[in-house]
Amino acid sequence: MIELLAPYALMLVVAAVPTGIWRAGAVVLSRSISSQSLVFEWVRFVATALLAGVVAKLLANPSGALALAPDWGRLGAVVAAFAAFMAFRRSVFAGVLTGETILILSVYVTQH
Amino acid sequence: MTSSPPSNNDESGSPNWGAVFDGIKDALRLPAWVVSAALIGVGPLAQAVGHPIGAAMASTIFVWAGPAQVLFYGGLASGMAYPALAFVIGLSSMRFLPMTMTVMQMLRRPKQSILMQFAIAHFVTVTVWAECLRRLPDMREDRRVPYFFGFAISCLVLSTFTTAFGYVLAGNVPTHFAAGLLFLTPVFFTCSICAGARDMPDWLAIGMGAVLEPLALHVAGPEFDLLVTGLVGGTVAFMIKMNRLNNAGTPA
Repeated sequence: MIELLAPYALMLVVAAVPTGIWRAGAVVLSRSISSQSLVFEWVRFVATALLAGVVAKLLANPSGALALAPDWGRLGAVVAAFAAFMAFRRSVFAGVLTGETILILSVYVTQH
Repeated sequence: MTSSPPSNNDESGSPNWGAVFDGIKDALRLPAWVVSAALIGVGPLAQAVGHPIGAAMASTIFVWAGPAQVLFYGGLASGMAYPALAFVIGLSSMRFLPMTMTVMQMLRRPKQSILMQFAIAHFVTVTVWAECLRRLPDMREDRRVPYFFGFAISCLVLSTFTTAFGYVLAGNVPTHFAAGLLFLTPVFFTCSICAGARDMPDWLAIGMGAVLEPLALHVAGPEFDLLVTGLVGGTVAFMIKMNRLNNAGTPA
């Protein structure tokens, strides 16, 4: 029984709790700040810059199968995604589709 | 459009639960499919370390953060010590603090219980955050929480199934498609963040985040690079925004 539950317990303690504390902490912090406060404006900018950093990190240090894509494929795909996103009046669908197409082709071309 | 009776009193009105369906509809239009496709990749990782399919699905429900789940199963595969792994995952999930605060600002209401707020917070991800930034400011307050749950729960339920799908599929995907699945997270993040950008300081925050990260990695190391990137890039963009507002406010 314990062996059966171990993967679940491990996932909760090692992954769910370290992630959840930030969400819970945000609730506690937010309660003491007025919704009009500029703190929220600042926090939104921090989140935006941090997320852009996450993207840069994922692309510069790819893991797993994504590492098989050449540098030009990863960079080109994300630039093309952005261009398509803007060209199609901020369409997330157009951006994702264009980026994915170029990335998958870049891996295919490199391997064949 | 829902046909519930109009509630004009935004401050004390009870939630308009008809908006749940609008949230579901918007989620199924694209975002839920993208998040759930990105989580296909978690299945094979869990399978590789010998965990049951139920645990992989539970990780999507309880962790609900793709990069953290990938780190968890990837870390187990490479034999990392549990405390070190928990620490690394905790650092990687730091983005949820500013993201969740932004969401709470838009969703909290008078008399809302803290338990309700914890429940809201659990569902926050990049996808949900970006959608909130785009839709909530123009939405009536009594519709926001129901819309949020409709949207977020659709994403989570679909993703739980695709995690299982990936587990069953494990390793039977051609490499170029496997690479495409892993690319979904960065490309979708990029479009989602840009979709929320409204003015020059917003774009500046995005640009600075992308440019500063490699520098921060060099200066602060792989644990604290994102923290430095967010704080420096975000604060500079915020100061420029404040400066612009002040200049606009003072008579020439």
